[in-house]
Amino acid sequence: MSQDAAQTREKLARSLFRGLFEVVMLNFLFKKERLLRSLIYSYLENLGTVMNHFSIAMDLFLEKGLSDEFDFLVERTHKSESMADDIREEVNLLMYRKALIPESREDVMRLLETIDEIPRSVELVLYMIQTQKLLVPEFLVLDIKELLRLSIECCDLVVKQIDLMLNKQEGIRALLATVDHNESHCDHVERRIITKVFDADLDPFLKLQLKEMVVYIGEISDQADRVSKRVNIMAAKRRV
Amino acid sequence: MMLSLSGALYLGWSLGANDASNVFGSAVASRMLKFRTAAILASACVILGALLEGQAGIETLKGLTQFTLKQAVVSSVAAAVTVTIMTFLGLPVSASQAVVGAILGIGFINRHVNIAGLGKVLVCWFGTPVGGMIMAIIAYKILAYIYNRISLDLVESDILLRLSLVAAGSYGSYALGANNVANVTAVFVGAGYLNVPAAALVGGLSIGLGILTFSRRVMETVGRRLVRLDPFSALVVVLAEAITVHIYTAIGVPVSTSQAVIGAILGVGIVKGISTVSTRTLSNILVGWFFTPLLAGFIAVALIFASHLRYVPAP
Repeated sequence: MSQDAAQTREKLARSLFRGLFEVVMLNFLFKKERLLRSLIYSYLENLGTVMNHFSIAMDLFLEKGLSDEFDFLVERTHKSESMADDIREEVNLLMYRKALIPESREDVMRLLETIDEIPRSVELVLYMIQTQKLLVPEFLVLDIKELLRLSIECCDLVVKQIDLMLNKQEGIRALLATVDHNESHCDHVERRIITKVFDADLDPFLKLQLKEMVVYIGEISDQADRVSKRVNIMAAKRRV
Repeated sequence: MMLSLSGALYLGWSLGANDASNVFGSAVASRMLKFRTAAILASACVILGALLEGQAGIETLKGLTQFTLKQAVVSSVAAAVTVTIMTFLGLPVSASQAVVGAILGIGFINRHVNIAGLGKVLVCWFGTPVGGMIMAIIAYKILAYIYNRISLDLVESDILLRLSLVAAGSYGSYALGANNVANVTAVFVGAGYLNVPAAALVGGLSIGLGILTFSRRVMETVGRRLVRLDPFSALVVVLAEAITVHIYTAIGVPVSTSQAVIGAILGVGIVKGISTVSTRTLSNILVGWFFTPLLAGFIAVALIFASHLRYVPAP
């Protein structure tokens, strides 16, 4: 009972400290840091939009093949990816204006640089499908959907992990383990699809195209795993 | 009056230009703090420290021997010249050791040296890097415990470290002023030329002027050595140096802030299990310990002899 009361008191003290910190420090003294935090959140929100467009576009492609709607979604994904680049540039400029201490600046810049590879991979997959007029055989659709689901889940988990890091909540390591597990699963599915492609009686050129697409999709979870590891290191560095 | 004090003013100016890097170097070199802000803050704190707590050190140094005004001028010029030569040779120099060396040179001529006072000073010199090291180990353990317990996010941790570094730097500047002002003007108090508050004010102002006008390059160069440490360790080093120097201020012995910093860096290395200070740096300190007072004493004696030379026209 007394332990519960002590924990409640500690939580209350922490909330009070955080409230005061937000009001006094971030609103009056450290505006650049507050702006930085909101820019990182905008970046993550934008990443969510990219992944959402990508998911809808891929579902559409796998069910109906290439269409105007797919092209529209590719365009939307590209715009979101460009917006992500703009936000990243804004963050970098803010860093050059001396927001954060040098070590944290480097950490944040590297983190965004690593995350930025995700929308780039996503765009690569969509452009490949669009420009090479790719056709996916029926027997691969379910496997590719599974690969996509796992890859997008990895990205969602990474966004959650960054949110935890920005809000000093615990559970970063647990998410790292989940992302790592998903990434391994993705590798497994990726290998399975490629094996199926080369076992099938398909045009050799199509086989190579499909293999390339699957590798590009697999790259999304690999990149998410790299981001997750970086977040974990950043969190660990903040313990002495 | 200004001519008599010129050696002391130069010494204070060079002390400010060199030693401010030990307290605000990491913050300025890492661009956490603008040089102008750091310089103004450091100068203000140095003057405050000199005025509020500079008395004890002044009493100790003026008690090491008896001075005439001429001898006071000579000892401050000898110390200033020594600091310049050692800096030119690239050896770590302590203004405190130069001043004590010069005073001993004068004492040798006067055949009067306060052995008890000298013993206290020598023990404190040895104790400065050791004190910095011990203080860094204690400060690291305590601060790490608190820092890990309050679990801050990226931005909060950043802000806290930055504010703490500014606070530690200001405290370090205060301790620097309180401790090192004696090096600048104590001999003039001994010669009866200045009273203690005036000596503290003149000394504090000259150190402050050195910080404002010439410390930028040294801050950036020396600060980079601290920046190589992680921000938390840099904070511990600055804080440990400030506490160590402040303790010696209370004891009343002017010490070297650079040596306290090197001791503190060594202490952080011990806690983290890494090598932070090269043996070359340590041997340079030993060389500085030995040669700085010796050279200052020699220059003081030489200047006194030179001042007695008279032109005798040929018959």
